[in-house]
Amino acid sequence: MKTPIISRRSWLQRAATGFGALALHDLVQAAQSPLAVKAPRFPAKAKRVIFLFMSGGPSQPDLFDPKDYIRRMHGQKITAPINTNEVRVGTDKFLALATLGAVRPRGQSGMMISDLLPHTAAIADEICLLRAVHADNNQHQSASLQFHTGVTAEARPSLGSWISYGLGAENQNLPSFISIHPDSDTRLYGSSFLPAAHQGTKVIIPSSDKQSPIDYLADVSGDAKAQRARIDFTQRMNKRLLDQAGTDACMEGMIESMETAFRMQTSTPELVDISNESEATKQLYGVGGKDTDKNARACLLARKMSEAGVRFVQVTLGGWDHHGDIRNALPKSCAASDQPCAALIKDLKSRGLLEDTLVIWSGEFGRTPWSQDLSGTSPIEKHGREHQPESFCAWMAGGGIKPGFTFGETDDFGFRPVSGKVHLHDLHATILNQLGLDHEQLTWRHLGRDFRLTDVYGNVVKEILA
Amino acid sequence: MKIRPLLLLSVILVSAAAQDAGLQQKLEKGFTTFDQDHDSALSAAEFNTLGEYSPKLKGKPQVVDYLFHTLDANRDGKLSHDEYMNIAAISGGAKPSPEKPAIIETKSSTEQIAFFEKKIRPVLAEKCYKCHAEDSEKIKGGFVLDSREGIRRGGDSGPGVVPGDLMKSLVIESLHYTNKDMQMPPEKSGGKLPDSVIADFEQWVRMGAPDPREGKASMVKSEWDTEKAKNHWAYQPVKQAAVPSVKDGTWPRIDMDRFILAGLDAKGIKPVGDAQPEVLLRRVCFDLTGLPPTPEQVDYFLATHDSQAFEKIVDELLNSPRFGERWGRHWLDVARYAESTGKDVNCLLPHAWRYRDYVIESFNKDKPFNEFIREQIAGDLMQAKDSRDRALKQIATGFLAIGSRSLNERSPKQYALDTADEQIDAMSQAVLGLTVACARCHDHKFDPIPQTDYYALAGIFLSTETLYGTAPNFQNLKSSPLIDLPTDCGLPRMPLMLTAERRAEVEKDLTKTERYGTMQFYATAAKGLFTGKGFNVNNDPQKLVMFVGINAKIGECKTELASYDSEGRQKLLAMGVRDYPATLSAGPPTKPKSVEETFQMIAGRPAQFSSINDSPLFARGDVEKPGAKVPRGFVSVIPSKAPAIPSRESGRRELADWLVADTNPLTTRVFANRVWHWLFGQGIVTTVDNFGTMGQPPSNPALLDHLALRLQSGGWSVKSLIKEIVMSHAYQLAATHDARNFEADPENTLVWRMTPRRLDAECIRDAMLAVSGGLNIEVPVGSAVAQYGDGAIGGYPIKSLRAPLSDEPFLTASSDFRSVYLPVPRNAVPDALTVFDFAEPSAVNGSREVTTVPSQALYLLNNDFVAKQAKRFADKLRPLPENERATAAFKLAFARAPTANEAKAAQRFFADYPRLDSDVLTSFCRALLGSAEFRSID
Repeated sequence: MKTPIISRRSWLQRAATGFGALALHDLVQAAQSPLAVKAPRFPAKAKRVIFLFMSGGPSQPDLFDPKDYIRRMHGQKITAPINTNEVRVGTDKFLALATLGAVRPRGQSGMMISDLLPHTAAIADEICLLRAVHADNNQHQSASLQFHTGVTAEARPSLGSWISYGLGAENQNLPSFISIHPDSDTRLYGSSFLPAAHQGTKVIIPSSDKQSPIDYLADVSGDAKAQRARIDFTQRMNKRLLDQAGTDACMEGMIESMETAFRMQTSTPELVDISNESEATKQLYGVGGKDTDKNARACLLARKMSEAGVRFVQVTLGGWDHHGDIRNALPKSCAASDQPCAALIKDLKSRGLLEDTLVIWSGEFGRTPWSQDLSGTSPIEKHGREHQPESFCAWMAGGGIKPGFTFGETDDFGFRPVSGKVHLHDLHATILNQLGLDHEQLTWRHLGRDFRLTDVYGNVVKEILA
Repeated sequence: MKIRPLLLLSVILVSAAAQDAGLQQKLEKGFTTFDQDHDSALSAAEFNTLGEYSPKLKGKPQVVDYLFHTLDANRDGKLSHDEYMNIAAISGGAKPSPEKPAIIETKSSTEQIAFFEKKIRPVLAEKCYKCHAEDSEKIKGGFVLDSREGIRRGGDSGPGVVPGDLMKSLVIESLHYTNKDMQMPPEKSGGKLPDSVIADFEQWVRMGAPDPREGKASMVKSEWDTEKAKNHWAYQPVKQAAVPSVKDGTWPRIDMDRFILAGLDAKGIKPVGDAQPEVLLRRVCFDLTGLPPTPEQVDYFLATHDSQAFEKIVDELLNSPRFGERWGRHWLDVARYAESTGKDVNCLLPHAWRYRDYVIESFNKDKPFNEFIREQIAGDLMQAKDSRDRALKQIATGFLAIGSRSLNERSPKQYALDTADEQIDAMSQAVLGLTVACARCHDHKFDPIPQTDYYALAGIFLSTETLYGTAPNFQNLKSSPLIDLPTDCGLPRMPLMLTAERRAEVEKDLTKTERYGTMQFYATAAKGLFTGKGFNVNNDPQKLVMFVGINAKIGECKTELASYDSEGRQKLLAMGVRDYPATLSAGPPTKPKSVEETFQMIAGRPAQFSSINDSPLFARGDVEKPGAKVPRGFVSVIPSKAPAIPSRESGRRELADWLVADTNPLTTRVFANRVWHWLFGQGIVTTVDNFGTMGQPPSNPALLDHLALRLQSGGWSVKSLIKEIVMSHAYQLAATHDARNFEADPENTLVWRMTPRRLDAECIRDAMLAVSGGLNIEVPVGSAVAQYGDGAIGGYPIKSLRAPLSDEPFLTASSDFRSVYLPVPRNAVPDALTVFDFAEPSAVNGSREVTTVPSQALYLLNNDFVAKQAKRFADKLRPLPENERATAAFKLAFARAPTANEAKAAQRFFADYPRLDSDVLTSFCRALLGSAEFRSID
């Protein structure tokens, strides 16, 4: 059975049967709702976004950007291309750490992808690899915050909130912004000063019956009929109040949100439930796989949500923070996420959705080409890599981005961008651009001035547009 | 022996060195060479090596010393690059000027000028003047390059051209298109110039950027015209307008009503009728105390709802301790009250609750608002009657200490400026309704607040020590002391004890760690890392980790020990501020003798910001670009006489006096407007925190001034003002819709009716507790955060250090106390509050958002707390006869009886309710708690 996506009108009519002609408010309310669909500023290439967030910082020297020099110097001290006075913990010896495994040309363009990502390698012709992405901070929290909100401290609206604000929700029965398995920092999906309707809704895929995919989603009584009776009684009182007040957007909102909430109770578990997907699809993602199951479910859910009209879906796939023993740990992280992420692209494509869905794969930063050894005594084989915001790799797909294209180059170390540098502000500007939004025009007045996702920065990366 | 160093130096630095273009480069090279620890500044020791380079200075330490101190214009014991470069100026005989690095003016030859005219000027004129000339419509980046002065001074990002220095000339950088954020000319003006043209520009800069273009480049154009901006309504004195005559003389009850009615008359609309007594009662109870009326109050008022009965109710509410809890919370929104530092290292502030209690008590005692403000800005500098009063006045200054802060900031100078900035921002928005902090980097774009005003205030706050506590940890090197309150102040203390065993354990830990630290410190020093400058941990990152750990452990132990008195009781501690000493302080140690001192050297507050002093104007807000000092002072556009600031005090006392002076038109207007906002749901000025030109003008200026003057003439009594407003006819209007009025004034800015409102998060939660009978109205001592003590939410777990806290217990925090006493850690505010739009506690917030989202409905439908209150509510009703329960429930929840239809519906509900649920009464109560009416007042 396909997920029933009930139209806004039909559920309003259904809700209205309880207490009169609420549906009359349909059009009025739709226009007033912060989530009402808004036209993009200019013709858009993408209608929705899926952001696969590789929390922790995947190792681009191992996965996408190997360097001959580092390979030759493996285990030896290299001249650090940085100011050695900066505090460096465990990397002070600057020992080159060669790429593990083979990184080979893939697809028609010869895009360099590691053997550790065989599934990603197979979709090389669908993705655009950015090799010189640049962020401003080397701490997880600040860097993640910058990736999501544009700033390294403070609470500002996150990318998904800005997009929800700019375009509204395609499906009024669902939140416009969903974050699957988010990190604990709520600012990463918060709407800050934008209206709360634009904040991300945290969704977890329940691993037991006790867990609920959305906070307070489960009716603890477990008796839907009883709850409905209660809601009908409440709504009847609400209706009386609304009649008294005449026009009252807030009151209408309360009535409407109660119905949405009621429906979410039943529609969300249905939507989160992937048991109705075909076996082939489940296999494609790796559902049931030893390493892949959790991420496969999350990525498959992202596709379902996106298909159902959620404007911005984020999936957080963690486990990339390899400070030590990367030789042993990285292959595991790859195995857990490679298939699900690649499957998402294939699945979107086969459903004709890739064209207008923009997919982004990235960590908050990358990792150093030299090794890190926190113990100070391990052999080089047991070393890991430190955070590196100076340059790292990300890929994008669909949504009007050039497929099978590699953009950006780093120096001989794989440390600083040499060409095709893409700052996070540029990446944000480009994402908005693909959605038909001008990052300089998408503003919100707060504390006496206009705020933007890109503050006063950002340039659309024209080179990667199809 | 008298030495003439200037003369000497000019000899040293070769003949008429300042004229030599090569000198700049030599000096540059020297700086890098001397700066052995690469901190971009020369210490005295480093500067001494200059002697080694000059045979004539060798063996003349006095000369070197004199030079050092002459160049060290800001007296921070170090020479910044700019200070150092003034050697050129000194040797040339010019007066050293740290503010303006000497620009070396060489006389350009005719050929050079010709080169400029031929190759450079035409390009500038064609490609740049459109956006970067004095007469450009909108000057971009604050940068004009149509004069020599303009192109050299540069704009927001730095100097455009530095003669002879390609690297520092931003014009060259932007021409190369290497910096993505600064590519010139932009695409729309034709994009990147041909390489040959860029080469011309480089040659031009190398030859010293000869430029015949005279003319003054004015400072960056702000978007305001000074005279026009000064005429902005908010800066004008508060004037009592004549009480207007109105058409219907019977409607107004007090003068205030006449102002309202006159506003309505002008639009040709009439106010709606009066609110029903039960509606009015519910409204006033929530507005004044944040709680629903009790059944007794309902019975009383419904029986005798005349104006005397109403007044009696109002007096009762104003005198109830619940009043301070409600109105104190309003102020806590404005004061960005929170119990952790937020930002990067989210350290708990376990003593912040004292400020919360101070605020609540101030409202309960009806402390005159001018005193209330004065105490929060300068309570520590005021006279006190007794110990309790002394303690409260110190606690009051917590207003300046509870802001969010970035404890992981690496630069001590930046941290000092950021701290002052946060204080300026909070103070100016909370009290004046001005965004003064916008003038940190440039003159305010929209309001007539020059950058000099900002730094005049910054001087006051930089002369002030902020005491916020926090325990050191792996990422927090910025903890500060706290205020020890007088032990006989009689204020409550957290019932926390340090047992003898625990004390012994911590002391042992401390001794052990200190001993280990000392050993490591000297062992490291012995390895040659200990130089005359002190052990520079940056030389050895591995060691740094170890020392950070040692330092954190020592700090953790010391903080714990310092939090308890000799009897093991928690000390009476508070957050707040005090003045720095008037005399120049030594600043952080330069020759540390222990691990702790080493970290003080690295992270301690710089000496330049540790005494009473004016602040330099930092160009573009850049801490590395100090300019001339700005005398401490206030916001110049406000026509209120500025008291003189004594040289030996920070100036907070005078700032406080100036803020609440009768002639200051903003403080009284802003607060009167806030009161109106909290009673009517929207201010007369709807942008309650911004009275500047970007804010909204008042919908009824005469009314606003009337209220502002009432506040002042009523001795700044907040309760009197509130009482006057709620006793007005306007406040007692019904919320009835009226199509004609709605058309004329859809936002109800003129108050033709009462605007229906959604209750605050606290009111909703407290009301649930109140109607269920579960509310505990006792005032708890402290808060859940105080119970946890020092620690950080999230962050790195480090062995041997206290583990980081999870945010979970705070997010789900619950109690039966009033919501104002729930913990408020930044980024971990309890769900019960955030779900209904609690004020984000990182910024001043006088007007909460009101959103309606499904997560609220889900909360009401399924949250445990709500379910529990419904059950309690039902249990309370159960003893009543079945046919009385619905009526009693309505009375508790809505302060009214059910209508006939509702009574019938309730009956049907009881009859038809699905049998599966054994407790239909609980279900009924949940329906009431989840209704829109329960969380609204009209």
